[in-house]
Amino acid sequence: MRFGWYRFLVIAVAAVAVLAPLVLVFYQSFLDAPFFQPVTHFSLEAYSFILGESDFWDAFVTTLLIGAGMTAIAVPLGAILAFLIVRTDLPGRGWLEPVILVPIFVSAIVLAFGYVVALGPVGIFSIMVKSWIGFVPWNIYSLVSIAVVAGLMHVPHVYLYTAAALRGLGTDLEEAARVIGANPWRVAIHVSLPMVMPAILFAAVLVFFLGFELFGIPLVLGDPQGILVLSTYLYKLTNLLGVPSYQLMAVVVVAIVVVTLPLIYLQRRLLRQSQRYVSMRGKGQRAAPLRLGRWRWPAFVFIALWFLVTVVLPLAGITLRSFVVTWGEGVKLADVLTLDHYRALLNFPNIERGILNTLAIGTIGGAFAVVGYTLVALAIHRWNSGWVRFVDYIVMLPRAMPGIVAGLALLWVFLFFKPISPLRSTLVSLWLAYTIVWFAYGMRLISGTLLQVAPELEEAARTVGASEARVMRDVSVPLIRYGMIASWLLIFLIFVREYSTGIYLLGPGTEVIGSLLVSLWGTGDVDLVSALSVINVAMIGIGLAIAVRLGVRLHA
Amino acid sequence: MPDLSIQNLFLRLGDNEILKGVSLTIPVGSVVALLGPSGSGKTTLLRAVAGLEVPYRGAIKIGERVLFDSERGIELPAEQRGLGLVFQSYALWPHRTVQDNVAYGLKLRGVGADEIKTRVAAALAQIGLGHLAARYPHQLSGGQQQRVALARALVYEPPVILLDEPLSNLDAKLREEARAWLRQLITSLGLSALCVTHDQVEAMALADRIILLNGGVVEQEGTPTELYTAPRSLFAAEFMGSNSQLNGKLASRGGGQAEIEVEGQRLRGVDRGGAAPGAAATGVIRLEAVQVGGADGGNGLTMTLATQMYLGERWEAVFTRGTTTVRAYAHAPLAEGEHNIGFPPEALWIF
Repeated sequence: MRFGWYRFLVIAVAAVAVLAPLVLVFYQSFLDAPFFQPVTHFSLEAYSFILGESDFWDAFVTTLLIGAGMTAIAVPLGAILAFLIVRTDLPGRGWLEPVILVPIFVSAIVLAFGYVVALGPVGIFSIMVKSWIGFVPWNIYSLVSIAVVAGLMHVPHVYLYTAAALRGLGTDLEEAARVIGANPWRVAIHVSLPMVMPAILFAAVLVFFLGFELFGIPLVLGDPQGILVLSTYLYKLTNLLGVPSYQLMAVVVVAIVVVTLPLIYLQRRLLRQSQRYVSMRGKGQRAAPLRLGRWRWPAFVFIALWFLVTVVLPLAGITLRSFVVTWGEGVKLADVLTLDHYRALLNFPNIERGILNTLAIGTIGGAFAVVGYTLVALAIHRWNSGWVRFVDYIVMLPRAMPGIVAGLALLWVFLFFKPISPLRSTLVSLWLAYTIVWFAYGMRLISGTLLQVAPELEEAARTVGASEARVMRDVSVPLIRYGMIASWLLIFLIFVREYSTGIYLLGPGTEVIGSLLVSLWGTGDVDLVSALSVINVAMIGIGLAIAVRLGVRLHA
Repeated sequence: MPDLSIQNLFLRLGDNEILKGVSLTIPVGSVVALLGPSGSGKTTLLRAVAGLEVPYRGAIKIGERVLFDSERGIELPAEQRGLGLVFQSYALWPHRTVQDNVAYGLKLRGVGADEIKTRVAAALAQIGLGHLAARYPHQLSGGQQQRVALARALVYEPPVILLDEPLSNLDAKLREEARAWLRQLITSLGLSALCVTHDQVEAMALADRIILLNGGVVEQEGTPTELYTAPRSLFAAEFMGSNSQLNGKLASRGGGQAEIEVEGQRLRGVDRGGAAPGAAATGVIRLEAVQVGGADGGNGLTMTLATQMYLGERWEAVFTRGTTTVRAYAHAPLAEGEHNIGFPPEALWIF
């Protein structure tokens, strides 16, 4: 009985946390003024204003174009990568996987800064190339380059789902084709590819959907040319009108959610489809890898090149930039080396606080988030009830809100509900926003490990005389503690990386590196931005190294 | 300790009716085997008794104590039933030592630390694993794990112990030893036990009574001897032992006897009810009852030897005539050609 109460309490808390921001946004979108003003009326004014704006529609179309472009780049690359690593004798296939997943954990805005510093018109590498051939053969500030950069960055997402599907395929199916007389490449095209197609399709929709979440890349690479996507349009709206135009922002949020919700539903359907062909795992024998022959090293170089462009170039650029006074044509590296930018960071108390806050939210906040996700996962664990479906949908909903939107909605929640308003200027507000934004991810991590606990182990405890709550405490939780620690590490990485969720919650006391970077970029202080970026990357690098060292699987 | 009784139990999983009105009683101190083919509902029945599945109708009681009663809306959760359950997979908790696995049930009952120690030690000594108390489950062999699972279920002295295919995870050789050991342990402790198995030899060896389940209903219930020597239905006859089947037409019946016409020949046998004269009927006979070389009284068929197989302690021969195939045991290899195959009338059941 008591456990029943626990279940409903947890579900109620989760539902309120997820639904309150969304409901508030919808409510605000139908008002003619910000909700905190004394006099507000219901009206459709905001809708007619936004839908009549050509800028809004431009941003909408641009978002679709970038989403389509990055999907077209990420899907084939990711699928090829997965095939090379799972099924061929590619050199280094043993250690390549964690490397391939690195872009998932590096902050997109840091990468975007890196591209500007490395490959921008006066970028470090651009100047190098210019000195060789006389001109810079690319333009980083364009729609195409945004789509290309975003596409390259999302290759790991496609890789993950395709590789998982490839590994799940029974090797007997491929061997059957071999025996009948198909050569390895025909097997790949006629047997393997069709069977992982549902997974690839799922990944394609996922990447397109993630196109709506893009913020850092279009902000840094698109804004100088006036290229806006929905998320940056929303961000600009804040400053556009001077007065807080909450009702207009709410309409933009509603517009984003109206597009992303069906996409999420579609993903759910496709995910179920993509598991259709996954056969029994753990047969022991793996198929002998396909021999690439003389294509072995070209294939390796292909992957190395992708990694170079996606991770190494921007990170090398920003690191180098953080150690030099200035950069331009004819500057000698030895003359301009300095540590001043890092020293300068210490002159700003808010930046110092931001670094400490980031660490705190990653470690302590991450731990609390994992506890929260575990509480919810336990509440629905092995529960035969319609409520489980309800929780599934609750978990999914926040995904429809890009981080910047969730941060905005949470800000409003804290302003709207007076009793909790004092928490707004503390890290609690930020923690809540992070925890909600990554709800689906965290739940997948925890319920994934919980599902591995064989049901008999729990049933055995029941028959021996333990109540449901006792079984959780004595059997389920002890058995998933390693999974929880692994999840904590992954959540740490995600929380340290996060930048867009904190933007609207940024204030004295709630600074974190991510949101500070966005606001510093606005002021144009490249010195500070690059030094702070390097610190952010270093924190993630250390966390990632610990995770890999401990053998944590980097994907859920 | 009182009897465990199950009354008219109905249970459905999803859209499948698994149990369709099962009633049975387990008298105190007896070992009852639930026997049946896969899908007959035997494991589901066991889990329903344990409280791990919820029936939608019926009642489960231990003496006057009601564990489940759909009419009175009583459904005790698994942990309050106080039964012992040994899982097919043993389900030993991998994060606890043997000692802690066994002690857990006592700890939940608020037994003091000293008493837990002595009782666990006694339970482990009983199963002959006292020296392995500090080990973790993965450091034990399959047979040892099975014993620990048993000790864990016995240590808090449940009124009834439930065993789900207790021997199926052991290899063939070990299984025969474990069977004898298990029977001895259960009877020496005077336990009541309900044991699920799909293996009729195991059921006969372990149990005082066998309940044969088929498609969610009790097909027949009785002592192993009753089930083996006097099956009441064709299903029961076929499920127990190794049999040969004779398909034909019922020629006559009366006075507990019947005649079946097979391959143009009339064979006498025991009337097991069912068909009217002229309708299709089936004769069933245990392999060991078939007499190669003809039976006394000439109740038999002339058949051709099709093949024979050496089984070690004897030979198994296959005879055919028309569409009829009969298997029989022989002590020595047989000559090619035709043989007289006898079916003693008291051993041939006609359904």
